[in-house]
Amino acid sequence: MTDQVTFPDAVQWAIPFFIAAILAEFIWIAVKGKGGRYETRDSVTSLIMGAGNIASDLMVGFLIWAGFMWLWQITPLNLGTSIPVIILCFVLDDLRYYWVHRFGHRIRWVWASHVNHHSSQHYNLTTALRQTWTYSFTFMMVVRSPLILLGFHPAMVLFCGGVNLVYQFWIHTEAIKKMPRWFEAVMNTPSHHRAHHGRNARYLDCNYAGTFIIWDKLFGTFVPEQEDDKVDYGLVHNIGTFNPLRVAFHEWVGIWRDATQPGLTVRQRLAYCFAPPGYSHDGSRDNSEQIKAKHIARHPEDRGSPGFEQFETDMPNSQAKRV
Amino acid sequence: MPLELLLVLVVGGIAGITLMMHLAGKSRVRTLTPESARSEWLRHVPDDDIIDVTVAHDGHSALIRTPAGNGLVWSFGADTVARHLLDFDWMDHPDGLEVFFHEFGTPKVLVRLDEFERQHWQHLLEPA
Ligand SMILES: [Zn+2]
Ligand SMILES: [Zn+2]
Repeated sequence: MTDQVTFPDAVQWAIPFFIAAILAEFIWIAVKGKGGRYETRDSVTSLIMGAGNIASDLMVGFLIWAGFMWLWQITPLNLGTSIPVIILCFVLDDLRYYWVHRFGHRIRWVWASHVNHHSSQHYNLTTALRQTWTYSFTFMMVVRSPLILLGFHPAMVLFCGGVNLVYQFWIHTEAIKKMPRWFEAVMNTPSHHRAHHGRNARYLDCNYAGTFIIWDKLFGTFVPEQEDDKVDYGLVHNIGTFNPLRVAFHEWVGIWRDATQPGLTVRQRLAYCFAPPGYSHDGSRDNSEQIKAKHIARHPEDRGSPGFEQFETDMPNSQAKRV
Repeated sequence: MPLELLLVLVVGGIAGITLMMHLAGKSRVRTLTPESARSEWLRHVPDDDIIDVTVAHDGHSALIRTPAGNGLVWSFGADTVARHLLDFDWMDHPDGLEVFFHEFGTPKVLVRLDEFERQHWQHLLEPA
């Protein structure tokens, strides 16, 4: 057996860089008087969420590793660990990230884990570290299986995922407005990811990219940040707690309470678990489509603009055609 | 990475950053005016019409009356959180009123009120 393949844990080794970069951004904002906002309790909560994420990885990591190594035993394919293979692995794992992240916003079961990354009303480098404690509950790690079965070594796949997360750290900032045009076209950037963190109707369910923004352009989820629609960070229903335990588990508790209330059909119970966030059996809540539709009702002028493409522009003569 | 080093980095990093922010004055809580309470409510609940706004004297909470019923908007660090007062309880508290939301992510808020305000808010919360 030649399974002595080891890669460093990119996230752990990046911690000193994270700390230095947070200090640098904080001082930059203090000196310039713009480029972002910091608040003590918000940041502390984010940092504790980050620490808890590393702890939960340490706790369940060996189980996931065992599963991945089992897949590695049964696959006849081995692509080795050459540089081109690592690059290919990174690109394919980024595609994997796109879909897991998209599921994370469109399936409440996965959203219950991912929601906490969006639970801050701030957007600074500490927000990047506000990471889930409950990823293993979602079973989304199975989405990595095809990569391993294709012959990418599990250690390399995990390394690429780690590098991807480290890449996403620096884009959680308001200090950088726009990167050069070619970079904005290919890569995920502070501007693209700010839009992803927006609770504005326009920005709901957009820009799921990890490292390469091309996936959003390919799969029709790209919405560029708009000068005239400043991003309002956070959740549609912002939470009122800094308690890390409540931040980590609030949506799981919500699922439990919704799905176990008396008098529902099995179908309704399942929808509370797996339908897009905002589902309700009695129409008392709005999902993102309904929020967008209500926004268009209030602001018809936004019809057809980025994030509202599904609402056709009302041309003077399109009215007649629809008769 | 050795676990000891990881622990030192994580604990030291969090403690250091927290201390720096606090000393830099970043722990100040948002203060609301009638105008900002109104605009914050509409930021959270863009579909609502507002009848009137009552801001508590400490500027950390405001009662919003809307055709759909009452709402509460309150300071949350540098930001605000808002909720309609639909599924809630409230209790007297030595410093004012405590509002409970039956929501794991938004358990309760302490609305600080003086004696005069307390009467008025109780009247608003429980219309005859
Ligand atoms: Zn997200
Ligand atoms: Zn993010």
